[in-house]
Amino acid sequence: MKSTRDIGLLKSCFGHFYSWIVAPQRIQTRHITKCPGYGSHFPIGHTFLQGLGCPPRRCCYNDSHATWCNEKLQNYLNALRKEHEDLSQRRSLSSVKEDDQRTLGKRHNELSPIIALLKEIQAAEQDARELESMCADKNEKEELLQLAMEEKQMVNQNIEMLRRKLLQILLPNDKYDMSDVVLEVTSGRTTGGDICQQFTQEVFEMYQNYAYYKAWSFEILTYAPCDFGGLHHAAARISGEGIYKLLKYEGGTHRVQRIPEVGLSSRMQRIHTGTMTVIVLPQTTEIDIQINPKDLRIDTFRAKGAGGQHVNTTDSAVRIVHLPSGIVVECQQERSQLLNKDKAMMMLKAKLQQQIVEEELSQRHRARKLQVGSRTQSDRIRTYNFTQDRVTDHRISYEVRNIKEFLKGEEPFDDLIQRLQDFADMETLLEVTENYFSKTDQ
Amino acid sequence: MHKTSIMLRRLLVNVTPFWVHQRGLRTRDMTPGLLVSHWQKVFQDHQIPDAQDSSEILVSHALGAKTFRLIPPALSQRPVSDHQLQRIERMGQQRLQRVPVQYIIEEWDFLDMTLLMRPPVFIPRPETEELVGLVLADGHNLLSSWEPRILEVGCGSGAVSLALLQRLPQRSAPRGTLRVCHLSLRVSSRIENFLNCGFNCSSDIYQVFLFCLFNPSHPPDPPERLRPFGLIDTIVSNPPYIFTSDMSQLDPEIYRYEDHTALDGGPDGMDVIKGILRLAPRLLKQDGDVFLEGDPRHPEMLSQWLTRNPSVQLRLISTVRDFCKKQRFVHLRRS
Repeated sequence: MKSTRDIGLLKSCFGHFYSWIVAPQRIQTRHITKCPGYGSHFPIGHTFLQGLGCPPRRCCYNDSHATWCNEKLQNYLNALRKEHEDLSQRRSLSSVKEDDQRTLGKRHNELSPIIALLKEIQAAEQDARELESMCADKNEKEELLQLAMEEKQMVNQNIEMLRRKLLQILLPNDKYDMSDVVLEVTSGRTTGGDICQQFTQEVFEMYQNYAYYKAWSFEILTYAPCDFGGLHHAAARISGEGIYKLLKYEGGTHRVQRIPEVGLSSRMQRIHTGTMTVIVLPQTTEIDIQINPKDLRIDTFRAKGAGGQHVNTTDSAVRIVHLPSGIVVECQQERSQLLNKDKAMMMLKAKLQQQIVEEELSQRHRARKLQVGSRTQSDRIRTYNFTQDRVTDHRISYEVRNIKEFLKGEEPFDDLIQRLQDFADMETLLEVTENYFSKTDQ
Repeated sequence: MHKTSIMLRRLLVNVTPFWVHQRGLRTRDMTPGLLVSHWQKVFQDHQIPDAQDSSEILVSHALGAKTFRLIPPALSQRPVSDHQLQRIERMGQQRLQRVPVQYIIEEWDFLDMTLLMRPPVFIPRPETEELVGLVLADGHNLLSSWEPRILEVGCGSGAVSLALLQRLPQRSAPRGTLRVCHLSLRVSSRIENFLNCGFNCSSDIYQVFLFCLFNPSHPPDPPERLRPFGLIDTIVSNPPYIFTSDMSQLDPEIYRYEDHTALDGGPDGMDVIKGILRLAPRLLKQDGDVFLEGDPRHPEMLSQWLTRNPSVQLRLISTVRDFCKKQRFVHLRRS
């Protein structure tokens, strides 16, 4: 027999988490732009049902759960909570000076959203525990039990969501995350012969397709094909929202293993190994890098002689030398000289940007497994084994079958990028906690 | 025997009937890359300037690409077809006659537009691309005016007007509508360029006057014909500014094929410039701008001329260097 008091409790539980279920739902829907009508304007019950029916998300919950249970992270959170309480107390004291007051306030503001989320999570966990005990109660009526089970599922989902949200807040933002990128591919010069060039072309097309898949704009800056097929070197500018965040882990050396299509090796069925390098640089907006025009030497055909109407030439190549750094860029892609110059300037900016990024990275001494791609930090990051029809990412030891599907640059590729992203997030998070404790120890 | 064969070959190089080339090259497996190096050598032998560039552009044009690097890899591996080979041959022969490449392929790029180039229209130079940027950067009242009126004097292919129209902020009107007052639209490619760029000539949000001064073969348009359209915000011009004494030193491409009226600026290269400056105060609004391209010697001469002619109510705002760091553009304003 159930007492009325307990039923009331169940109801209050419902009310309790309805009130804050809606908010995270809203946040989720904002990302799912593809299904219109799945929005916050629906009545609460509707959202609730849809929430149950929504397909499982691709990201792996287990991983985030594992992270959550990590002892270090829990310690970190506890420490933050303590700090927050401490700050609140100290701010209320009148003896604190105004300057200190300001710094305290700043830190307090930083921590507040984290603490608020933590409290929400704790409340949800409390609910989950109560429901748990209710389910365990064997005297419960069948219907109520059913209801409680469903509820429990919901609460768990919510906890998961809140935790993810909290982890997102805890992650430090990379300065360039939201910027566009310049992606460069270069074929390797190993014994692979033409498989390197062919592979380079395939990978470049993969990124091109991925850009289409993601509805980003993809603009080819340079394209140097081989005489015998394939691609020596190419660069493209990809613009859209938050591209660097997604593509930064693509930088590095990609290895290919396959039997060449022509020549002796193809007849002998000999497997060749080749490489190609991908460089991903954040593309700066005008504000980030200022180049003094005096630092530039611009070489064109027109630099000699009178120029203007006196000369009619079709040579529109532009070569820009950045004198302080000695960087040289060239563009002869377009027939319009000014467009060539603009493109060359863009490439120059990207290269200067790379220098700055590298400097920053070396300053920070980040011991992360995943590194922003650049020539200096090149390490084999992924292997495309055509003979075994699989792609292996060495950093997260993740394998994908069906290489053809992967090279189309659609779902399987996106999936891998997502995984890399999650993995990198976790690494960063752990690093942040370590840094925090090492700082407080000092 | 040997001598005659050499003589014969010399003759043949100049005449070069199609079969000679066909024999020399194994036409069956001519890839674009080989063709380019072949024609480059031919051009170099005949001392044609820009040998490599010319051959690359002609070959890629026959293959339907803009530059050699933009030929799709699939095409660049395969041998070209007989038809394409013949076409390249024809174009190469024209180039040997020193016809400008732009006239041979009948198009050229100006900024991001591809414009039709038929003789004798003036081929826009890269410096003029910067003139457009200058007008947009410094022509404040042009950008703030609700119904901007631009006068381009000596518009050639219409490149500057088109580029300006595409870059001016779009007001309430749909993209790029303008009224072209063709006072003297003789060069057919100009009209086609306007139509190709998607402008229709019926609406009247932007008013661009393509205006022809001083054309000896054609009665000049009197400035009075511009009166009914009201005062103008900005005058842009890339007038003929080559000194008559320099004309004979021009490359054959320019001297033989381009319209001299678009090049020859008189003894001091300022004939048309002076004409524009005399006319400008009468046509311009208060604080209206004049943007001119000129010879590197002209800014100096122009400021001297202005001090000698105080009746011309214009003041020199700035002179701007082009990307080769030469004094190229002047910005004047009605005072």
